[in-house]
Amino acid sequence: MTTSEDELKAWMVMGLGGDAGAHAALLRALVPLLHAFYRRRMRGAEEDVEDLVQETLIAVHERRASYDRDRPFTAWFYAVARHQMVDHFRRRKVHVPLEDVEAILAGEGFEDAISARMDVDRLLDTLSPKQARAIRDTHVDGKSVAEAAQAAGIGESDVKVSVHRGLKALAGRIRGSRA
Amino acid sequence: MNTEQLIRELSRDVPRVSRHALARRIAIGLVAGGLATMVLVTLVLGVRPDLQVAMHGFSFWMKWTYTVSLGVGAAYGVARLSRPEPGSLRALWWLAVPVLVLAGIGIGELASAPPGQWLAMWLGHTWKVCPLLVLLLAIPIFIGVLWSFRRLAPTRLRAAGAVAGLAAGAWAATLYCLHCPEVSALFVLTWYSLGIALAVGAGALLGPRLLRW
Repeated sequence: MTTSEDELKAWMVMGLGGDAGAHAALLRALVPLLHAFYRRRMRGAEEDVEDLVQETLIAVHERRASYDRDRPFTAWFYAVARHQMVDHFRRRKVHVPLEDVEAILAGEGFEDAISARMDVDRLLDTLSPKQARAIRDTHVDGKSVAEAAQAAGIGESDVKVSVHRGLKALAGRIRGSRA
Repeated sequence: MNTEQLIRELSRDVPRVSRHALARRIAIGLVAGGLATMVLVTLVLGVRPDLQVAMHGFSFWMKWTYTVSLGVGAAYGVARLSRPEPGSLRALWWLAVPVLVLAGIGIGELASAPPGQWLAMWLGHTWKVCPLLVLLLAIPIFIGVLWSFRRLAPTRLRAAGAVAGLAAGAWAATLYCLHCPEVSALFVLTWYSLGIALAVGAGALLGPRLLRW
């Protein structure tokens, strides 16, 4: 999995503090995220993707004063990336054929999926490794209980109990953090 | 240039960005533009000779409260729209409050004056030039806000342009008060607001073109 929100945000905040090393680490970590983000939406236009990645890195660098340290970094970052793409289309007066709109819209869920994945990872980190693994296998990766049991080398009922206790603990934690 | 080279280039110069950098940048843009407008008001239009006396009166402060509260609200809007995900802008509805209060005062004025004077109160002596002057005086401030946006990241360009026009118009009107001798709430409500609205419209038209990045 790619770099987590926490890590990216930490680099961003250190970069805002004047730490050039952290700033470079941030920009480097953003490159694969941007590639994935644009490639899904631009389909085939490899050179355009490369241009967009670089333009977005420059925008992230030049306009970092617009980031609010109290809010998630990825939300800010993907808003910048999306704006760059819209502007790119506008500049080249590209018209997207109607049948491709569906693909672009489907791609829109991608960013949410990434941030949801990051949230899930962070939550699972708070559980015991056994519970975390059982939940990840059966609920995130979609394995059956039997497959998960075999992969982890434990009994099926053990998997079920771990999932049940783990989810209960998570539910309690989320309720606690909202209260 | 390949991406790695670019990253090295960009990381060579990483100045510190303070927590208040965004607010400071917007304030600098507004103040710098405001100073230019101030020069125009004092040198070209001239400060009203009875300013000292007027500052002890109700109508001067009524005008200032109106334009300053619009200006503060607009500056808040500029700050919100200078971020790529501005979130809900519902708070900007508070800008209706000064308009409604001024309308209330205007109705009170009408009620306490004989109907024969209403037209004179409404048109004052300068209704023909007031909206246009407010619009022209807004230009330097608008340019200041455009400068502020250059290192920020507005993504809703039309809204950002409109709110920049509102800020420019409201602060221009505030400075125009130093020149303008009109006293009636109805006058301000109509002609000041018209000038400010023209600035909002110009901002909304120009925003998508001038704020692109």
